[in-house]
Amino acid sequence: MKPVLALDQATIQFGGLVAVNKVSFELEKGDLFGLIGPNGAGKTTCFNLITGVYQPTSGEIRFNGQSINKLPPYKIARLGIARTFQNIRLFTSLSALENVVVGGVLRTHVGLAQAALHLPHASRSTKKLRKEAMELLEVLDLADVAHWRSGDLPYGSQRRLEIARAMATQPELLLLDEPAAGMNPQESEDLMRTVRRIRDEFHKTVLLIEHDMKFVMNLCEKILVLDHGEEIARGGPADIRSNPKVIEAYLGEAV
Amino acid sequence: MTWLAALDVNGLPQQLTNGIVVGAIYALIALGYTMVYGVLKLINFAHGEVFMIGCFISLFVSWSLGYTSSSIPTATNPSALMWMILASMLVCGLVGVFLERFAYRPMRGQPRINSLITAIGISLFLQYGLSLVFPISPPRTITEQVNPYWQNSVSVTLRAAPQELVNDRAKVVAELKTAVDAQNARMKELGIDSTFRLPEEDKYLVTTVRNLEAKERELGADVNKSETRITVPTGKMIMLVATLALMLLLRWVVMGTAVGRQMRAVSHDFDSASLMGIDVNFVVSMTFFIGSALAGAGGMMAATFQGVALTAFVGLEYGVKAFVAAVLGGIGNIPGAVLGGLLIGMLESIATAFGQSAYQNIVTFFILILVLIVKPAGLLGSAKAEKV
Amino acid sequence: MNFWLVRILSIGAAVGFAWFLSVATVDAPTLLGPRLVALAGMYVTLAVSLNLINGITGQFSIGHAGFFQVGAYTAGILSGLYFKEGMNPMMWVGLMSIAGAITAGIAGLLVGVPSLRLRGDYLAIVTLGFGEIIRIFVTTQQDPLINGATGINVKPQHNAVFLSILLAIACIAVCRNLLQNAHGLPFLAIREDEVASNAMGVNTTKYKVIAFVIGSAFAGAAGALFAHTESFILPDLFKMELSFLILTMVVLGGNGSITGSVVAALVLFYLPEVLRGGEGQATMAFSGPMIVGFFVGLIALVAGIRHSQQRHMSSQAAKFGFLAFTMGAAVLVGVVVSLLAKASPNLSAAKYDVNQLRMVIFSITLVVVMLVRPQGLLGHREFGWGLFTRKSATSEVQA
Repeated sequence: MKPVLALDQATIQFGGLVAVNKVSFELEKGDLFGLIGPNGAGKTTCFNLITGVYQPTSGEIRFNGQSINKLPPYKIARLGIARTFQNIRLFTSLSALENVVVGGVLRTHVGLAQAALHLPHASRSTKKLRKEAMELLEVLDLADVAHWRSGDLPYGSQRRLEIARAMATQPELLLLDEPAAGMNPQESEDLMRTVRRIRDEFHKTVLLIEHDMKFVMNLCEKILVLDHGEEIARGGPADIRSNPKVIEAYLGEAV
Repeated sequence: MTWLAALDVNGLPQQLTNGIVVGAIYALIALGYTMVYGVLKLINFAHGEVFMIGCFISLFVSWSLGYTSSSIPTATNPSALMWMILASMLVCGLVGVFLERFAYRPMRGQPRINSLITAIGISLFLQYGLSLVFPISPPRTITEQVNPYWQNSVSVTLRAAPQELVNDRAKVVAELKTAVDAQNARMKELGIDSTFRLPEEDKYLVTTVRNLEAKERELGADVNKSETRITVPTGKMIMLVATLALMLLLRWVVMGTAVGRQMRAVSHDFDSASLMGIDVNFVVSMTFFIGSALAGAGGMMAATFQGVALTAFVGLEYGVKAFVAAVLGGIGNIPGAVLGGLLIGMLESIATAFGQSAYQNIVTFFILILVLIVKPAGLLGSAKAEKV
Repeated sequence: MNFWLVRILSIGAAVGFAWFLSVATVDAPTLLGPRLVALAGMYVTLAVSLNLINGITGQFSIGHAGFFQVGAYTAGILSGLYFKEGMNPMMWVGLMSIAGAITAGIAGLLVGVPSLRLRGDYLAIVTLGFGEIIRIFVTTQQDPLINGATGINVKPQHNAVFLSILLAIACIAVCRNLLQNAHGLPFLAIREDEVASNAMGVNTTKYKVIAFVIGSAFAGAAGALFAHTESFILPDLFKMELSFLILTMVVLGGNGSITGSVVAALVLFYLPEVLRGGEGQATMAFSGPMIVGFFVGLIALVAGIRHSQQRHMSSQAAKFGFLAFTMGAAVLVGVVVSLLAKASPNLSAAKYDVNQLRMVIFSITLVVVMLVRPQGLLGHREFGWGLFTRKSATSEVQA
């Protein structure tokens, strides 16, 4: 079966700095895949490569067998890859509901002319988008703040809102960049359950970056560890936990 | 492509030199734009108006020293020029600091667009406000005699006319003098004061003079066409030297002093610099002072040595060209501003050489747009990527 | 209610209103006369169309006068070539405004496509540059149809009140529809965060270009109406100052608020006209001391407001109290200074016409708005409610 996502010797170089160096891995449909490593390891850069923000200097990135190296971010989103951001990037003046609706717009087939002239097709589509957005907000426990200005929401809610917005694009693959950052243990627990639900009920494949080890170990089934742009270990949670190279990368060399 | 044929190749070195002279002024103004952009990432739309204020300050100083259009002190003295440039630089520097303190500093936390809009507002206010105090017509100019060397010029001959031609011309000039003397002697003899009164038999004296004059003109034109010579009025030479001195001074300040180091740090990264203990407000004020003072110097020079007609709107033309120069060289980059200024100046002269000065402004804007679209960082600048 | 019924009724109301104005203005005093009302409609269109580009999509275009000029000269040239005496003037002008919209739209496309990937301040400079290029280019054209700097007469002269009001309403309607619809939200999203919009599948370049083209098309249509109402156009009418004037209207009203743009456009257009006193009355003149007093008072006001913004006030009442006090103090300071200034003979002798002061007033308005309330009068808010309301956290949370 073709992997949903395949990185094949993906490399990117900024001047003299090789941020990501010949990284290769594959995601099967339905995987809960974790990408970890110390700060500056190149994890978000990998996300940026996959979503088209950067173009790889060499190597290939394939989504369902199709090479997506040269595609701009919006086209990649249309193909079915959605993401959240390490530093939250919400549409702050818009309400929570409107943020999610923006995500849903790309799956509609309404022309701007129809919208500008307020034709019935556009109104119906708007109602449908609004309904679907409310449903997503409920899944992520944000229904009661639907009409709040998203910039005013508490930090944890903002992170969940980003996920809801990404889900609205009906992706096949969901990239989550530090979704649990800044959450207390109870919130992380709830988020873990939500992500599992996203995989189980909504049939999404999930690739996530995280620093919260408990979160990663309890949630992810496959893990890849990066350091200085290169892979240093891969495997299941048990393997990674006891891998000396991983420990060294995070904590420094044993004295 | 008939305009191509209008190119006067012989005149090209002179045009290029003119271009460098004018470009020096653009460079001075461009430095102000680039320095302010470097530290604040703000395009100071009102900078052209600071230049305009410099022009007017020079005008006032020249008036107060007695150089009005009706009365000129008999002893002309280079110290007048000193006073004018010092006054312009000081006042403009202070104006710049004042503007920053009260109009730009409050906008620092907000999106850059807001500062840009404020700058536009201030620019318009200065233009129209000052036009109330100084009506557009008649435009004023600084009296030529302020510059004690206004009648002198420096000349360099790159390629002399053929000696034969020069000799021929000298011969004709001598013949002309003899003929004129003969004519005048005859007139004195007869006691008349106008060549019309000469009796018929003496009219040949007049025709000889006229023929020789025509021949002299023709030969003179031939000499001009066949030699390549650059003439620069002494005043403009002074201007070039002064500009160079100012730029070297600037380089010393930026590279060699503590303040300069701080300015470079702030333009590299505003937030980090303030975290490192640099008094950012002071650095920004200093930057505005220096940049505006340079524009003031440019204003004094344009008003005095280029004889620009001074109205409240003179800052528009010079300001826009200097801005294009700064962008062309790489906005934020100090050597770039100088390079850009000289290039724009030379481009302008070349356009005039082709006889297309009407299209000058379109060409200037076109270059601006081309640079921004193709290489926004300019010739010497380097692009900075946004972190996602 | 049946969609089509609502649709027909609202179009009918718009047409009816426009027709009513066109008839009512014919014998009205100059201030409400056909020429001024038509021009008001054009300025409203200009402000709302610029708001679509700047406020709603978050771009920064300051060359809008260029598109206005393209539309005006399109009408001028075509009328010079093809208008014959017997044709119905209103129909012809209507046709011209469509032509103007098309050419200006194409101009918007040509300007937008290469420039829209540039960052904010760079985009501003490029649009300014294009506006100037268009103006200077027209100045250099010697063909008698265009006549360079001297300008051309445009026939037929027609005070396009009906068309201009209709155009303004159409512009407002289109922008409103886009905002109320989910499918117009991407414009706002681009304003908020382009990178995130791209990641959510929004083709930001396409949307930006579309906003640009729509905005410039409306400006062009208004330009054609302008050409026929004024009957004489020359490049000097379309200088940078006009672009800045329209920008001031958008900024004053609130970047992003359609209602704000409409209100600010009307205020900034009518204010100088009102001060001008209309036909038959003496022009209002301001003396030197008055102006000095005004400015000092204004400075005091701005300083006071900024000071109050920085202090933490205990309640809304205290805030209003301080604001009122500041304004009163500013007025007092202004009056005192102006009385003092009367002592100087030079200053007292100076008298200024409102026309000369026009640009000074506008530029000061721009600066004051930016310093005191950059979000303009209405910020992002609109009159009435949209499909989605935007409440903030503070209204929900108990202390």
